Amino acid sequence: MGTLLLQSQTQTPLVDTIAGLLGLDGLLGAVVGGLLGAFLIANVMLVTTAVAGPWAKRKITASFTDRIAVNRIGPFGLLIIVADAVRLMSKELIVPDGVDRPAWDLAPIILPFSALMGFAVIPMGSGVHLADPEAGLVYAFAVASIASLGLVMAGYSSNNKYSLLGGLRSVAQNIAYEIPLIVTAASVVIFTGSLQMSEIVAVQAEPLVTVAGITIPQWFAFVNPFAFVLFLAANLAEVGRNPFDTPEAPTEIVGGYQTEYSSIYFVLFYLGEFIHIFLGGALIATLFLGGPAGPGPEALGFVWFTIKIWAVFLFTQWCRSAVPRVRIDQLIDIGWKGMLVLSFANLVLTAIIVGVIV
Amino acid sequence: MSLEEPQDSDQDQPAVEGRSLGDELADLLGDHVLSREEHLNAPGFVIRPDEVQDVLFKLRDEAGFDHLSCVTAEERSNRYESIYHLKKYDDPTQEASVVVPTDKDNPVSQSAEPVYRTADWHEREAYDLVGINYEGHPDMRRILLPETWKGHPLSRDYEQDRPQVVPLREHANPLEDDHSGDGGDTMFLNIGPHHPATHGVLHLKTTLDGEQVADVESDIGYLHRCEEQMCQQSTYRHQIMPYPDRWDYISAGLLNEWAYARAAEDLADIEVPEYAQIIRTMGAELCRIAAHMLAVGTFALDVYGDFTAIFMYAIRDREKTQNILEDLTGQRLMFNYFRLGGVVWDLPEPRAEFFEKIRDFLDDLPEALEEYHDLISANEILQIRTVGTGVLPEDVAKSYGATGPVARGSGIDYDLRRDDPYGYYDKLDWDVAVEDGCDNYSRLLVRLREVEESAKIIEQCVDLLEDWPEEDRTIQSNVPRTLKPEDDTEVYRAVEGAKGELGIYIRSDGTDKPGRFKIRSPCFSNLQTLPEMSQGEYVPDLIASLGSLDIVLGEVDR
Repeated sequence: MGTLLLQSQTQTPLVDTIAGLLGLDGLLGAVVGGLLGAFLIANVMLVTTAVAGPWAKRKITASFTDRIAVNRIGPFGLLIIVADAVRLMSKELIVPDGVDRPAWDLAPIILPFSALMGFAVIPMGSGVHLADPEAGLVYAFAVASIASLGLVMAGYSSNNKYSLLGGLRSVAQNIAYEIPLIVTAASVVIFTGSLQMSEIVAVQAEPLVTVAGITIPQWFAFVNPFAFVLFLAANLAEVGRNPFDTPEAPTEIVGGYQTEYSSIYFVLFYLGEFIHIFLGGALIATLFLGGPAGPGPEALGFVWFTIKIWAVFLFTQWCRSAVPRVRIDQLIDIGWKGMLVLSFANLVLTAIIVGVIV
Repeated sequence: MSLEEPQDSDQDQPAVEGRSLGDELADLLGDHVLSREEHLNAPGFVIRPDEVQDVLFKLRDEAGFDHLSCVTAEERSNRYESIYHLKKYDDPTQEASVVVPTDKDNPVSQSAEPVYRTADWHEREAYDLVGINYEGHPDMRRILLPETWKGHPLSRDYEQDRPQVVPLREHANPLEDDHSGDGGDTMFLNIGPHHPATHGVLHLKTTLDGEQVADVESDIGYLHRCEEQMCQQSTYRHQIMPYPDRWDYISAGLLNEWAYARAAEDLADIEVPEYAQIIRTMGAELCRIAAHMLAVGTFALDVYGDFTAIFMYAIRDREKTQNILEDLTGQRLMFNYFRLGGVVWDLPEPRAEFFEKIRDFLDDLPEALEEYHDLISANEILQIRTVGTGVLPEDVAKSYGATGPVARGSGIDYDLRRDDPYGYYDKLDWDVAVEDGCDNYSRLLVRLREVEESAKIIEQCVDLLEDWPEEDRTIQSNVPRTLKPEDDTEVYRAVEGAKGELGIYIRSDGTDKPGRFKIRSPCFSNLQTLPEMSQGEYVPDLIASLGSLDIVLGEVDR
């Protein structure tokens, strides 16, 4: 463990790189580098989401349901992304009577930004890593949780009963599932002994076993598959996908908190949801799948990382197409009576095992 | 349990030792009976309007008529009439009609609601369309038309040309009574008329206690298209047949057409050639599969949530039956294939190819059903969602006149194809699917099993049709160009539609158009059970229950 700490990289690799390229240093370099880096990462995530939302999601769902989906505009229908962007942005923004104005306008902004901010501490490989604070993991969970606030604001300020029900459901759900989520993540921290993201990734690079000349790294998905499954399930609830999509539940409460939003506000909600899924994927990749690690040169790290978060995205879409939704009371039951107990059991067991072995 | 032999083919004389059912019931009712009528399907008893409950209680408790199939109301030249069509769940061939004439000036009759809960909506419809008032009814309001409507459209003095000027402000504002100022613990929520899970335009006025349903009231009539009146203005021979396709339009067209065909053929005493009956049976069962596929698919959609695999798979398989039906009838939804006395044309040529297509579909079906069972009925999450939710006990189901998969999911072994045989069903080997779980899950299972049974029936029909001698392929019997059934003949006949008992009452008036044409829609009766199922349950279960009822608003509102 002690040797691992020494291996920790520079605190802010991407910022330093940018500052170096511009020939700046000191405070100015940190500020300019930080802003440009943030701009870069945010745009990477937005592009990912743009591909995922209007195009990949349709294609994936279509292949689950024996359909073809978009294939008319551009190669493989890819230009539908442009068409959809134009369509959604040119729609009328309908502001219903009696909405609680500042809150109603802020909610769709909070949602994508809380998820985007989480990416600041994610090491995406190939030197793409904006900040590496010591409490990185806690920071990621903290900003991701702000999304709940956005959902409640949207639900409460929309002056619509379906929205209110959706907002209430999302709070109940997030409380019930974020605790198991964080407790499960804590079991990883017991292994690494650090909350720093680069640390968590570095520990996973260690070999676990070598079978027939192939070295299997110490990814926590292999070390503690139970925690991995728990985290994956809790993450589905966190991002609100089947079987835990009760806050939206179109067939029950129409669209939940987003019922009254149209045009660009709707886009922001949609965007927020997708970035949230990718942030969930990024956390899963970082905590359990070795972050940007993969075969080939280190420069490929970003590619591997992208593949991993897309794999998680694919998993959520798969669940969406194949798993029925549970009822809200059952969902809360599963959260408090099942996941919470299991996650604490996992934490205690991990602590005992780590304490005995290490 | 396999198909039982039909007990007694002569339906008017099922009683023992030469005494007709009518005589027995007349003895039972004694002085209540003012006079007797003979309807083609059942003995009719004319009673006083203030003795309705006494008579119906007697018939229900002492004679075993536990199924109020339909309430027909009509205005005659000198009186209003309510006709209660009674049946027995154990043996629907035993029927009785209770005729309640009421005064022209003051049409007030006692309500049957305390005896049969289903009378609630049926009598409201009678009030709405014909104008009879029912005393003691818990909720005497219009049901299909808006509360502000002027006049009763099926009454004789209704001014059809008078414009219905109803300003917007006189309409009930759906937001008005949101009860938000009550200070109570409940919240009023409008589910529909535009809601993803109402399967059409249905408005559920729901009162929520938290997420639980404290009360729910269905508001129907958004799709009312005056079907009964249109049929009354059309000739028996050709003009009525296209309409049934538009009641339950979920590709159950042939089943609906059969309801009209059966009633009209009995009324005008028309024979149907055996060959045509087999084609009808085959076509009707294909329709049933198509209808159940959509029911299962949309039910899964309601429970699963998002647009999911199972819905598309169900639509994919439904598409195959639609292709076969298109080959057979030339249409995909509005078939208009039946004719009085047979069907409009023979099977498509080349016949071998057509049979091949059906057999291919039937061969693939078990595998497809296996997939459905994997994805739906065997799915544990779906089971925790549906087992034990939307419970409809057997006696409640009977009281509400529930039929079809809804009744059979509540353990009521009632299927008109077997119990009141028509077509070719009694000569084929198949079973009635019954589940006694009384919940959403049972209703789902019943539908999936019925698809299997329908496949069995189709297979046997194809076998028969393949070997049918070429010189004997009569598709229609000789039916006069203009049908004028004898004046004042009344008949109520029902068939097993995709959703349940689809009944038609026709009274002839000596012309070539019906004097009164009444549709008994299974969805209308089934939908009434929704509050019983969902009170105290969660909103998602309300939606699931609604999905498991498999209503089609076109048939509810007609």
